[in-house]
Amino acid sequence: MLEIAHSPLFGIMLSIVSFRIGLWVNKKVGHPLANPLIIAMLIVVAVLSVFGIPLDAFEQGSSFIAMFLAPVTAVLALTIYRQRKILAGAFFPVLFGTLAGALAALSSIRFSATLFGLNEQMIASLLSKSVTTPIAIAITEQFGGIPALTIASTVITGLAGNLLAPVLGKVFRIKDPVAHGVGIGSCSHALGTSKALELGEVQGAMSSISISLSAIWTVLLAPFFF
Amino acid sequence: MKYLTQLALIFGICLVGDLVSSLLPFSFPGSVISMIFVLILLSSRILKEEHLGESADFLLRNMTFFFIPPGVGILRYAALVQSIWWQLILVNLISLVACFAASSYTVLLVMRIQRLIARRHHA
Repeated sequence: MLEIAHSPLFGIMLSIVSFRIGLWVNKKVGHPLANPLIIAMLIVVAVLSVFGIPLDAFEQGSSFIAMFLAPVTAVLALTIYRQRKILAGAFFPVLFGTLAGALAALSSIRFSATLFGLNEQMIASLLSKSVTTPIAIAITEQFGGIPALTIASTVITGLAGNLLAPVLGKVFRIKDPVAHGVGIGSCSHALGTSKALELGEVQGAMSSISISLSAIWTVLLAPFFF
Repeated sequence: MKYLTQLALIFGICLVGDLVSSLLPFSFPGSVISMIFVLILLSSRILKEEHLGESADFLLRNMTFFFIPPGVGILRYAALVQSIWWQLILVNLISLVACFAASSYTVLLVMRIQRLIARRHHA
């Protein structure tokens, strides 16, 4: 009976249904901690273990989905292109702000991970975790890290950024909406940006443009930290 | 057919990105090269937003969905994650705060420098 689980269609269907449920729960609960990706992953893991389906069977189909990560990254260019006017309005502050953010993230990850005794493969998986997930995965693969660990970390960072964004602004006395937005987008990608959009229009726009810029900086600078 | 054409265009750009990546003397992710290609093509108006159209927006709107398969791969590393979970969380939090502080203070600094330059210009 479980033979059907080895069909590629199974992995694709399970992923779609789980994501659908994840989105639904997220909408019902209305809190960022009810993250649709985490919920979908938990459902998939639960289904696989309850029915004793091996991960390899799931990946027959799910590898087709993973194949779309590169196209997703390519079309991210569209989001940068659409925000070109906003970027032009604060070009240098955003350019240097995201550069400083990327440098601070990379060096603090390198330093703290080494301090806690994590090995090179772990560090390779963590270095990129502040940036948007498809690019973070690409960087991890480049250094031979574990993409699954990167995804877990980008979600943790994104959620923490979302929850802490207002507090961080107060602690560091950031009253300027441009600075606050760039800070949020640089350190916690799209998950943080959804909070920035709640804080205000300028914060949201700045956070959103910072996602792609800090990702580009991180791609360029990461080799120097590994 | 419209969607298939858009997807073929996007996939084609990705293949070129991977090809360029394999030819580079240093390692650089092919997907990011494709992204830079798309940005250049859009900015030079060789490519219009309509050419990527609904297919691109479909990918962007459902971006999170595509992280499920690699994310579920964490199952293979369950024992590893159990042994280093607190280090993972600490590294994430430390770098979050460092990155936030560095980027927002730098924005404030650059804006202050810009104001100084503007004032000198007026004087």
